Amino acid sequence: MEFPAALFSSYFSAGPPREEDGSAPAAGWGEHGQVLEGRPGPRQAQPAFVPRRGGTGETWDPAEAAAVPVLPPSAGCWIPSPAPQDILYRNSLCRELRAGKGGATLDFAKQLGHFFVDHPEDAFGSMGRLLHKNFHLGNSKLTVSIIPGVAALAPTVPPTSVLSSLQRPARSSTIRMTALMEDIDRLEARRGCHRQHLASRLRWFSHLCRDWLFEVPLGVLADCLHEELMLQWSDLLFDDSLTGGALAWLPSGDVGSRTGCLVHPGGLAMNHLFFQDVVLEKLPCTQGSPAQFELSGRIRQVAAARVDGEDFVGVRSDYHCGVWRVPARTGTAPTPLQVIHTDVPASCLTVSPHLPGELAVCTQSGTIYLWSVETGLQQLRHDPQTMFFRDHSPWRWSDFTTHPRVLSYADRTGLQCLDARAPKKCHFDLFKVGEEAGCQKGERVVLPMYLGRAHPSQYLVTTQFSVYVLDERLPLVPMLKWAHMMKAPPLFAHLMPGDSRRSHKVVLGASRTQELLLMQYWGERWRDGAPGSACQLAGTPQKLHTISGCLEHLPTQLPHRHHLLQQRLGAPAAGLAAVLQEDGTCNSMLVFQLSEAGDVFCQRLTQEAAPPLEKAEHSQEPCASPQPTPAVPSPAAALRYRRWLRALSRDCREPSQHTWPPSLSQRRLFTRKDLEGSTGPSALQRQVRQLLRQVMQEGGRIQHWEPMALQPLALPQPPEPTGVQDPLSARLTAAWSGDCEQWWEDRTSFSMAQRQRALRERRRRQKRARGRSSLSASFTSSLTYQSELSELSDAGPALFSPGRPPPPSQEGSSPARSPPARSPPASPAPGEALLSSQSLRHRGIPKERRKTLRDYLSVWAEGPPDPPDLPVSQASQLCIPSSQSQLSSASQTRRKRPRMGF
Amino acid sequence: SSYEHKLNFKKSKEACLSYIQDAMLQKQWERAAEFLTFYVESLEKDYSREHVGPSEMIWRIGTEILCHHSHSSMKEFNCFMEQMKTFGVKRYLKASILNAVCLEHVFHLLCNGQIDEAYQNLSLAESWRFGEQTAIQNKEMKLIQAYRGLLDYYSWSKQKNILLEHGKCLDGFADLSVEQEMHNCFRKAAVNLKEIIKIPGVWDLFVKCYVDLLEFYGDHNEARQVLNEYAYNSKFPANPNAHVYLYQFLKRQGESKKSLISALKILHDIVPSHELMIDFNTMLRKSKKRKRRRLGLEVIFAVLDYAGWKENVKAWSCLARQVKQIVISEKHLGWIKKEWSSRKDWWPAFHFSRYLAKRNWQENESLSYEKALVAGILLGKDCKYFKYVSHQGCKAQVKRFRMLKKFVNRHNPVCLRISG
Repeated sequence: MEFPAALFSSYFSAGPPREEDGSAPAAGWGEHGQVLEGRPGPRQAQPAFVPRRGGTGETWDPAEAAAVPVLPPSAGCWIPSPAPQDILYRNSLCRELRAGKGGATLDFAKQLGHFFVDHPEDAFGSMGRLLHKNFHLGNSKLTVSIIPGVAALAPTVPPTSVLSSLQRPARSSTIRMTALMEDIDRLEARRGCHRQHLASRLRWFSHLCRDWLFEVPLGVLADCLHEELMLQWSDLLFDDSLTGGALAWLPSGDVGSRTGCLVHPGGLAMNHLFFQDVVLEKLPCTQGSPAQFELSGRIRQVAAARVDGEDFVGVRSDYHCGVWRVPARTGTAPTPLQVIHTDVPASCLTVSPHLPGELAVCTQSGTIYLWSVETGLQQLRHDPQTMFFRDHSPWRWSDFTTHPRVLSYADRTGLQCLDARAPKKCHFDLFKVGEEAGCQKGERVVLPMYLGRAHPSQYLVTTQFSVYVLDERLPLVPMLKWAHMMKAPPLFAHLMPGDSRRSHKVVLGASRTQELLLMQYWGERWRDGAPGSACQLAGTPQKLHTISGCLEHLPTQLPHRHHLLQQRLGAPAAGLAAVLQEDGTCNSMLVFQLSEAGDVFCQRLTQEAAPPLEKAEHSQEPCASPQPTPAVPSPAAALRYRRWLRALSRDCREPSQHTWPPSLSQRRLFTRKDLEGSTGPSALQRQVRQLLRQVMQEGGRIQHWEPMALQPLALPQPPEPTGVQDPLSARLTAAWSGDCEQWWEDRTSFSMAQRQRALRERRRRQKRARGRSSLSASFTSSLTYQSELSELSDAGPALFSPGRPPPPSQEGSSPARSPPARSPPASPAPGEALLSSQSLRHRGIPKERRKTLRDYLSVWAEGPPDPPDLPVSQASQLCIPSSQSQLSSASQTRRKRPRMGF
Repeated sequence: SSYEHKLNFKKSKEACLSYIQDAMLQKQWERAAEFLTFYVESLEKDYSREHVGPSEMIWRIGTEILCHHSHSSMKEFNCFMEQMKTFGVKRYLKASILNAVCLEHVFHLLCNGQIDEAYQNLSLAESWRFGEQTAIQNKEMKLIQAYRGLLDYYSWSKQKNILLEHGKCLDGFADLSVEQEMHNCFRKAAVNLKEIIKIPGVWDLFVKCYVDLLEFYGDHNEARQVLNEYAYNSKFPANPNAHVYLYQFLKRQGESKKSLISALKILHDIVPSHELMIDFNTMLRKSKKRKRRRLGLEVIFAVLDYAGWKENVKAWSCLARQVKQIVISEKHLGWIKKEWSSRKDWWPAFHFSRYLAKRNWQENESLSYEKALVAGILLGKDCKYFKYVSHQGCKAQVKRFRMLKKFVNRHNPVCLRISG
């Protein structure tokens, strides 16, 4: 391999990187870099020049409107990794305060809160058990009880404990937590406002308990949490564990074969390794079922290289690295060879393209190993410090070079090459972030890659700003530098080597933004026996489709499905692979992209004809505009989309319960005992049930409750005939037609008449009811709690007579009256015992509310229209204002009844 | 609301820029051009103070679009560049960027074969003097001068060719004027080229031209000094070409073998895989000095360490020849043994695997012959590579493979001493 006879001119000086010059968004355009004499020929009158950048490259046109899924979506529903909004402190006030300052605030308090809620046992296990008697979680009001010497807040504990003198100390040492919770809620509502007096109680409480309440000392826990949060955040900003990518393409060994093997991770935790045979047609198709291996960690990187006709696949997870051998013949199963375990997460695994079963491993502790399947690990270097200047990142990388015993070693500050036979003595600097390579301030190495398949001594280095092509034979001076202008740093790169007639192609990929960029370069071409020319960038870079770009071509989805799909397709990219297929007239390129959700998408680019070499020489010839990208996916692609979507919805249906409307189990509200009532089914209930059963067996209807001689029931009253509209509608109608005054007059006279009529009606009914329910009255008197039916009738289940429509609501109903009107009981319902005051009390309807209820009812009693179908027992009582006192006394006596063996 | 207005304005500008970027990355140059005109229009309405960034961006994007737009012509390109230059002067564009604009324009002209226009532009740019002279500006200016020197060199060499071709038939007068013109060019070129190659950098093109000029006028000492400086000044990058140029110069000068060898020795130390190492090995192998022959063996072994040489027949035959020589003479077997000891754990897998034997035999018979010879000597006759190739060779009834087999079998005890 000859060294180019002349290199492009450049200045060289050592030193720290330059200040950036502020044209970042367009820094990669419009430059030729330098020129070089291209074709020295004595016959030519004028020298021809070639530019370092701007030469013509090959034209590749996308064949599809968007990327197309290759594999069915992995089974099970993908759980997206945390998004910035999950851990960032979100508050409008704070945002405004921070406006312009930049930098993110992590929501530390929320996360700590999550920990306490999610792991209460770990957080306060033993203390909680010790203290649970002293924390009152009820709603009851606080009273201050003065105990000599100690003033304490104590809740009003149930009467029993009030009575019990033994309980007194406990009472003085109980805290009502509800108030604290309220304070917390209030604080939550005013987030960002740190006025002290709002949180005095909380401060008091935390001051008191901070040191002893927590199982894990709070300081330690907070430190750990904060560390983790920072780690998560830095991962969100830039996750370098994915460097290198977890997708590999193993071409088939046979020349001209259209098959190959796609190595990719899958499964819910991305811990399954798949070797999937793929046939490359217009759209790649899978062939057979994949070979599958379950690993013990999330797969971060899959690296592959072919040596002696066999593929060696290295797989890196955080603490384990493994190597597989895949024979070149298709259909032969991959063999796992060896696994190593590291104490510190590994950051790099590369496979030697020179020697079978050799790999390079780096860990975050700054150690680099040469790993040979036969001889094991050989530590080449250990240095926790970075090489050229100090950088906090523990990321290290290593790759092979043109010499099988020389490995490159990279950290964020640059690259060195070291000889594995004498790593301490023999090394040289290959790349430095500094003035040598014309770097910017803040520039860091993101991904180094050996370009051996294109040129044995060339190297690719990407940073967040630029791409460099280096030559080992002239270290430190980049052969090629180009500002890639990508929004996220390129973590993945895939090389498709060319030859003397075809350019080398590199696809760069970013993770978070899923960007894919195709760039081409000519590397040291031989021309007619003349020495090779220097590296040149060919053509302009080209953006390729991303996975998320296919969303607009998918069939329309329901909004929530669309959102889920958007989330899934927008998952960060996790790997990249590409295949070049040369097929006579039509060359095609397939680019595979893997997402963190485990989806593998693919796009095809086509090249119409190989560009004539002559044209490539003439740099600035305006090239023909490429064919526009197809606007809609081809039928085959559309079919793929549909299939993929179907499979996705099938897989994700089961666990996505949370998307269903929430349902509440009443079992949590009422215990079985509550529902049954303390006394079990009453005689009445039993009778009614029996009747129901009987009628159901007969298939008949319950027309009347007459068979129950014992239980003379008030017949449901016919609903009040509603000849008139409800007043609001009437009034509105009147207002619309413009005779509002007329309506008012009508109304006043009508209401007089109506009241009179209602009064008459009520009296009539009372009379009739008295006549019919004489027994009922006696029954009522025998059951002391019957009075409470009045309270309950509104909450009880509406029991309509079959075939009768529910009564319409009454006109002019005030909120207080609406409940009885809405569900008028047809009778003192058979289920009344079920809803007896006792059970109601058990259910925790507090005394105050019962009183409110009664107040409502009394108002109702005074109101002009009587509810038409109120059972007489209620009506009679309700009409009498004095019943209130009876009721209250009844309720007071009732309280003790259970204890009295009722 | 003026703040909000500004913010919105900024946002829409950014959006416009991203559209341009998007279009360019998809090679939709027409669309990009359309958006760029919007962008420029929007800038004209912008009275904020940040002009430097956008104008550079417009220059870069505009250049790129004009290079690829289907309707653009050289005339339009030149027009745009001139506009950028005047715009830059008016708007106090950073001088370094203005110089860069000039240089890029010149490169564009050069690549399109418009050498004279390029020369004019360079002369014009050289005459500009404005703003404070920053270090970067100084550098760019030096480059402008250097490229002018380069173009002067090309016109010099053109005139030289005219003179050489027609020297005999032209009359004295015309001859004289051409000669004068040529000397004129020489002076201009030499001054500018001399300047740039003093500064650390990669100046292959300029150094070559300058040395050519000096050699033509017989200033060999100056040429030697320039090349020595370029190759050995530690402030310059370790450019293999610097050593190559020096070696070629020494060779042209008919220097002694010693100085040639020492020049190549240094090249060997910095780039053991350089293609000149084959010449170096040949030179050393023929030497009478033992030390040099030993160095030759080291050199050829080192060359074959590199993946790029793996299938190079020339290199393998050099090694095979030298190893064979040593084995036949049975002297200096230690040399081989020493070289082999640091390679025996990986050369067999790297060079002599059964897979490679098969492939080399199929693809390149002479390569497999040379390699089999080396393998047979280094690893003995039971080596997989040797066995496969010699077997295939004998089966194909190729004479040299039979000889090879015989040779290795005869010298097997010696070989065992090496590998053992």
